[in-house]
Amino acid sequence: MLTTLSWLLIIAVISPVIWLIFQPYLKKWSRAERRAANLLRDVLTPEQCHQLLWHGYLEVQSPSAAGRVYRVPRVQGGFVQVIEDGRAVMRLCVQPVERLPEADVIVLHKLMIEANEEHYLQNANKYLCVDHPSPLS
Amino acid sequence: MLRVMSRRGDDRVSWDKQKVSAGDPEAVAAVREAERIFAQERAKGATAFRMNPGKPAERIERFDQTAEQIVLVPRVVGG
Repeated sequence: MLTTLSWLLIIAVISPVIWLIFQPYLKKWSRAERRAANLLRDVLTPEQCHQLLWHGYLEVQSPSAAGRVYRVPRVQGGFVQVIEDGRAVMRLCVQPVERLPEADVIVLHKLMIEANEEHYLQNANKYLCVDHPSPLS
Repeated sequence: MLRVMSRRGDDRVSWDKQKVSAGDPEAVAAVREAERIFAQERAKGATAFRMNPGKPAERIERFDQTAEQIVLVPRVVGG
């Protein structure tokens, strides 16, 4: 039979694991995430919301180059893919200096690309895609 | 409305344009507060975008109290 001490020990061991599993889901319900999600809904069209939800990324048309599209991932920390004429040509790593909720980061990318593309590209770390064709779907 | 992105989601300051035109002290104070936050965040390197319904976002350098919505995003760096 387990003593109280043993139970406490077990709880102490499994608590961090449980936290790691559920933390992303709990985060979605935080006030900050909800507010950021509201802003995201205000900024995106219904089609863009659908794309983000079902494809896991948001495509933003370049204002300066007709054949260029930026593919912004839903998940924070991912690379933004640059697609030119249907081919992935570059990956960009750009992040805000302060931590933001996930939805705000998507809005940030969209606004920077649409209205401040030059500055956005200047600040991004760029990784060229040399020889793999785009995994376009 | 001014929306400032932060770790808390977005902080908002809103005002009624008609009341501002009419000189309502509370509305005028809200505009002054928004203007102060705008200047403070811009000094920290934030970029400001004017959002009007049905129009593409537009980067702005100066506070515009007639804008439907202004969004301030923090400075970005290469990751």
